[in-house]
Amino acid sequence: MIELFDVTKRFGDEIAVNDISLRVEKGELCALVGTSGCGKSTTLRMINRLIEHSEGEIHLDGQPVRTFNEQLLRRRIGYVIQSTGLFPHWTVARNIGLVPRLLKWPRTRIRERVAELMGLLGLPPAEFAAKYPHQLSGGQAQRVGVARALAADPEILLMDEPFGALDPITRESLQHELRDLQARLHKTIVFVTHDMDEALALADRLVVMHRGRIVQQGRPIELLREPVDNFVASLLGGVERGLKEAGLTRVSERMLPLGPRLLARERVAQTAPLRDALSMMLWHRVDRLTVVDDDDIPIGELSLRRLVGGRPE
Amino acid sequence: MAAERHASPNWVLLSLMLAGLLAWLSLDAVSVAPNRIVAGAPHRAYEVMGGWPMLLVTLPMLGVMALAWRPDSRRLRLAVALVVALLAALPLWLAAAVWALVDPSLPQARLGIGASVWLLLFLWLLVLLELRTRLGLARWQGWALLLPVLAAWWLALAHWLEPLALNREYQGRSDQFVAAIGYHLALVGAAVGASLLLGVALALAMRRHAGLQRAGFAVLNFLQTIPSLALFGLLLAPLAWLSARVEWLSALGVSGIGWAPAWLALVAYSLLPMVRNTFVALEGVDAGVLESARGMGMSRQQVFWQVRLPLALPVILEGVRITTVQAIGLTAVAALIGAGGLGTFIFQGLGQAAMDLVLLGALPIIALALLADALFGALADGLRHGGAR
Repeated sequence: MIELFDVTKRFGDEIAVNDISLRVEKGELCALVGTSGCGKSTTLRMINRLIEHSEGEIHLDGQPVRTFNEQLLRRRIGYVIQSTGLFPHWTVARNIGLVPRLLKWPRTRIRERVAELMGLLGLPPAEFAAKYPHQLSGGQAQRVGVARALAADPEILLMDEPFGALDPITRESLQHELRDLQARLHKTIVFVTHDMDEALALADRLVVMHRGRIVQQGRPIELLREPVDNFVASLLGGVERGLKEAGLTRVSERMLPLGPRLLARERVAQTAPLRDALSMMLWHRVDRLTVVDDDDIPIGELSLRRLVGGRPE
Repeated sequence: MAAERHASPNWVLLSLMLAGLLAWLSLDAVSVAPNRIVAGAPHRAYEVMGGWPMLLVTLPMLGVMALAWRPDSRRLRLAVALVVALLAALPLWLAAAVWALVDPSLPQARLGIGASVWLLLFLWLLVLLELRTRLGLARWQGWALLLPVLAAWWLALAHWLEPLALNREYQGRSDQFVAAIGYHLALVGAAVGASLLLGVALALAMRRHAGLQRAGFAVLNFLQTIPSLALFGLLLAPLAWLSARVEWLSALGVSGIGWAPAWLALVAYSLLPMVRNTFVALEGVDAGVLESARGMGMSRQQVFWQVRLPLALPVILEGVRITTVQAIGLTAVAALIGAGGLGTFIFQGLGQAAMDLVLLGALPIIALALLADALFGALADGLRHGGAR
C-alpha cells in the first residue's frame, strides 16, 4: 500500500507537485494521467526517492519512505522507464539479475529466478539470455525491462510511460501481457502515461493531474461518467468519451437471452467490449449481433438499441 | 554469385596499380653512391641487370590489374595474395639491385631507395587497404597479412641488403638506435601515463564544479595553442632555476634541457585531448541508463564503477589513442632540447644533409604511431564489443 499525504515538491521557486494526497491499495493498478509537465512523473519518482519530496509524507505500508535507506528502498520497488534503461554492456540475463545481485542472492538462485522471469515474459532463455540489449526489438527490450523490475519480487512496481516508445501493435500486446501478469501477481502498481486508452484499459484507479494538483481520482468508469470539469472531460476524450466507456463495458452486460427470432449472422464474443460490437455493427451495416461464448456457442443476442443502453423493444 | 561474376571493374584498384606501374617504369628506383658524402647516381628499374629482375614486380602488378577488371570475391582474394607477394618481393628486387650495382670492394658504397620504390610501397599499402575493405576482413586479418611482408624485409635486410643506405646508417648506430627507440617509448609512456592520471582526475573534478570546468578547458585550450618549440623554451628558464635551488630535483636529473621540460611539455599537450575525451565520455552516458541504475538501488559507487565508467571507457581510450599518437610525434621535436629519442637521428641527419639518417629516425616514428593507433583502436573496439555501438 502506498499513501501520499499532502505531498509538495518545489524545484527552486517552481512548484512541480502541489499538495497532493493519494492512496494506492495493495494489488491495485493506479494510473497517473495528465498533460506533460503536470507533475505525474515527479510524483512517481518521489515514491522511490529518485526525487525527494519537499513537504508532506509518503508511506509504504504505513512507514515513511524517509526512514528507509535510499538504496534498500529502491531495491524493494520495481522501476520501469520508457527508454528501458537497460545496461548496453550487459547481457539480457545479467540485466535481469541486477537487483538480486545487489541483494546478494546466491548465484544459483539468481540464475533460476532469471530463467523463471524470462519464461514469464515470453523470452526463451536459450534464445535471449546471452543477447545484448542492442540486439533486441523495442518490445523485447521493454519485456526485459519489466523482467528486471520484477526480479527481486517487489511488492511495488513503478512504471513511467513504459510502453510510450513502442509501435501501436507491440504496445497493445504488452498492455495485454501486463494485465495478465497483474491478474497473477497482484503487485501494487503506479503507472504514468499520457495515453488515455492505455490508462483506461489497465487502471483500477485513475488519477488525473493538472499543474501539479490532483484534479480528480476514482474508478475509470466514474471519471468517464462524471468528470468534475471540462479539463478532465476533454482529457478523457471529449466527444469520444462514449466510445471510451463502450470500451470498458463488456457485451455480456447488455446482451439479452436468445429470442424466438432467427440468429443474426454476425457473431460477437460475450467477453468483447461493447466498442467492438458497435464497430462490427457499423462495418456489417446490421443492428443485431449473436453473442457467443468461448466455444463459439450462441448464448444471447445484442441489438443496437440495447447496446446504446435503451430498453428492450 | 551471378551478380558478382558480372561486377564492374574496381577503378580504385586499377588506377592505384596503373599509377604504380607508370612510376615503376619512369621514375628512379635506386641510386648508388661510393660513400656517404657523394650524391648517388640514379638508376631506373629497367637499368638493373638488363631489366629481367623487374619482371618479378611488373608481372604480379599486371596480374592484380587483370583480377580487378572483373572482381569477384575469389579474384579479390587472389589479388590480396599477389599484393602481399609484391610487398615481399620488393626487398628481393632490391637485393638484386645491390648485387648488380654496388661495388663490393668499396666498404662505404651504398644503395639509396628511390622515388618509384617509395611510391610503390605507399600505393600497394593503399591497395591492400582497399582490398581489406572490399573483402570485409577484420582488423587483425589485415595485420596478419603484413606478417609475411615484414618477415621478407627482415630476412633481406639481415642477409642481402647490407649496402642499403638506410641499413648502413643503422649499422653505425645499432646500439644508439635501440636505445633511442626505448627512450622514445619511455618518454611517451611516462607522459601519456601521467596525463591519463591527471586528466581523469581533472575531468572528475570538473564534473563536480561547473566553474572549474570553464576555467579548466580555457587553460587547456590555451596550452594547446602554444607552439611546441616555444613551450620547450618557456620551460627552460624556470626548470633551470628550480634545479639550481632544489637539490633533490637536480639529483633526479631535472634541468632546463633534457627529459624534464620535454616530459612536462608532452603532459601539457596531452591533457586537453585526455580531459576532453574523459569528460565527454563520462557525461555522454545515456541518462536513461543512469536513472534506471539509480532506480534499481545501485549506490553512487556502483553506478560509477559498474555503469558509467565501463560505458565511457571506449571514448576515454580514444583520448589515450589520440594523445599517444600525438606524443610520439612531439617527442621527435623534443630531441632539439636534448631529450633524446628517435628525433636525435632526424636532427643529426638534417645537420649533415644525410637524408637516410633522417629516414632512420622518421620511419620508426611513423611505424610507432601507426602501431599505437592500431593497438588502442583495437582495444577500444574490443571493449565496445556487445555494448552500445
